[in-house]
Amino acid sequence: MRPPYVLSLVVVAMAAAAVGAVVTMSVTQSPVQAQAARPAAIDGKPNFSGIWQANNEANWDLEAHAARPAAVTQPGVYPYDYARVPAAPVLALGAAGAVPGSLGVVQGDGQIPYKPEALAIKQQNAANWIDRDPELKCYLPGTPRAMYMPHPFQITQSTNKIHLAFAYSNTARTIHLDEVEGPPDNTWMGHSVGRWEGETLVVDVTNFNDRAWFDRAGNFHSDALHLTERYTMMSPDVLWYEVTIEDPNVYTRPWTIAMPLYRRMEPNMQLLEFRCNEFAEEFMYGNLRKEQLVKRWEGETMTIDITRKVPPGDAFYDYYSK
Amino acid sequence: MRNRFSGSMISVAIAVLAIGVVVSVSTSAQAPVPAQVMKTPWGDADLQGIWTDETTTPLQRSPRYANQEFFTEEQRTDLDKQRSELLGRNKRVERGTELDVAGAYNAEFVSVKRTGLRTSMVVDPPHGRIPPRTPEAEKIMAADREYRLALLQATETCKTKSVACNGGKYDPKPSARRADLPPRYNTARMNRFDGPEDGALPDRCLTMGLPEFGANAGSFRRIVQTPGAISIFYDVGQGQGWQRNIVMDGRPHLPTGIRQWYGDSRGHWEGNTLVIDVTNFSPKTDFQGSRENLHLVERWTRTDANTLEYEVTIEDPTVWTRPWTAKQEFTQQNGKENRIYYEPRCNEGNYGLPGLMRGARTEEAAFAEGKGPHPATKDIATDFVGVEDNPLE
Repeated sequence: MRPPYVLSLVVVAMAAAAVGAVVTMSVTQSPVQAQAARPAAIDGKPNFSGIWQANNEANWDLEAHAARPAAVTQPGVYPYDYARVPAAPVLALGAAGAVPGSLGVVQGDGQIPYKPEALAIKQQNAANWIDRDPELKCYLPGTPRAMYMPHPFQITQSTNKIHLAFAYSNTARTIHLDEVEGPPDNTWMGHSVGRWEGETLVVDVTNFNDRAWFDRAGNFHSDALHLTERYTMMSPDVLWYEVTIEDPNVYTRPWTIAMPLYRRMEPNMQLLEFRCNEFAEEFMYGNLRKEQLVKRWEGETMTIDITRKVPPGDAFYDYYSK
Repeated sequence: MRNRFSGSMISVAIAVLAIGVVVSVSTSAQAPVPAQVMKTPWGDADLQGIWTDETTTPLQRSPRYANQEFFTEEQRTDLDKQRSELLGRNKRVERGTELDVAGAYNAEFVSVKRTGLRTSMVVDPPHGRIPPRTPEAEKIMAADREYRLALLQATETCKTKSVACNGGKYDPKPSARRADLPPRYNTARMNRFDGPEDGALPDRCLTMGLPEFGANAGSFRRIVQTPGAISIFYDVGQGQGWQRNIVMDGRPHLPTGIRQWYGDSRGHWEGNTLVIDVTNFSPKTDFQGSRENLHLVERWTRTDANTLEYEVTIEDPTVWTRPWTAKQEFTQQNGKENRIYYEPRCNEGNYGLPGLMRGARTEEAAFAEGKGPHPATKDIATDFVGVEDNPLE
């Protein structure tokens, strides 16, 4: 029965050739198409349009820090700060709840120049992270935090407006390059007015409220916050982002953070929804249910009992329990 | 707080301010500017700016205007007069009663916009009404309605034969169905608040997305374009704003397993019209009974400097017996004044949702101690006051 076998080989070879052609097309053409659709300049200025994301640890802590076992810890067996263990609220996450280390993004000496009384508030914020960080409640992230959260954002650059759409919770900014009146009230994300200095977009951001944080470490500002952002293309797919932070209520002097933002290169990349206020409902309102769903609320207090059940047949535990 | 739309008083005040601006500049809407296509520097039709519908048009045509697609100017003037005289939520009843408190969100918060040119947004079918539902969809809607009526049966609402109890009957005995789940995922207010999911989506700051026709407070949208991409931010629901980033490179829709509140938008140009195909809606959304199978084809066309025509064909073979089409006209707003509210702050100021649950727990505790009525005899779902005949519907 050789002839049929040979024939089928030919068919397979043809199919493989066809598939090969398709794969080649999709690999070589998608980035080219994307490039064609996105010119390097808009109105003679660098075109920042596209989907971007920071790839750093700034949302954990702007300042330099070593890795630590969790965002919430408690004393371990030793009385040292470096020997603490994860506390109950995050214990169930295991190593996934650990905080990665970083050299920080604060320029110069790496320290945020807090006034002494403000530093005390920052330390309280850090100790009460779960209760106080707006991110846990899915509140708006504020600026600049939105720029380096672990979520992508999209820049849509036109001639008179540059729109920033963040995947996190429908957060948005429009940078106005034309004349515009300020908002009637203060805001989480600020009022952004931009201008070009050569190839760099410089954005003045004002009209802030005093509720947003910079990170999960409790770094904060007041409603006197004033930002000067600078966006510069380092290469077609890397955007250098620098922001000078002024707030005389909280800091002794202006300070600056800087980081690269990277283009999300996946050919099928698009922003997906992250409508987290729904995800935070149980966290915020679980105590008000008629019948508790997650058994951890007593009045206003969240209490956590963690029971871990080893799934039957788990080879690792079976081995050690012999 | 029955009629809490959402969010803080600040956002309400801003929304009202924005509507005030709209009303004062609405004269430009009808100026017959010759259709001259405005283009971006890269050659696409230019749809950019802040847009809103400056008039009020009912979704469906009232039988009173059955064979009339447009109102006459006399009819519009007359309807404007009738509508401005409606007391709406400003109507007070006996002070301190359940009924009176239901009107707390009074007419101050809802501006009356001019009556629109059309007798209905629905332009197809030509009679201006949404086509009939399929028998299966009718069955689902009936089951949902039956459940909601069961939760109302022991209340004054049913005892006094209020319209809110139409189709139900009064029974002083609380329904055993109070312990049941609703027939499907709840999206509307019901007479129970066991947990957040018993709230209407707007109570949870989860107001739905598309199609966005603007409720009684209206809606604003800003369009920003760049070659190969378009962003639209919607200012809706007093702090429940949201945005969509239209994918324009011809790639297929998201995998069917990925479902979103605002669906998945794929756009392309047909001449100077932006055509957007929207699918992949979440089963938690609900537009007139349509959920995950909703399919929209939107057509956005700028017809003159100040006017953006929006046409949307709405299809769901599991709900309607045929597709239907609605049309709206948006007017360009003053870009320098920039009266669009970007902060979806509803969640940050949502005292209403925990308040509704706290209230329910308090009433249960009082009843258990013999200090209050059975919670099932109270109505926390119905909006009684200001529900009057709307001359447009």
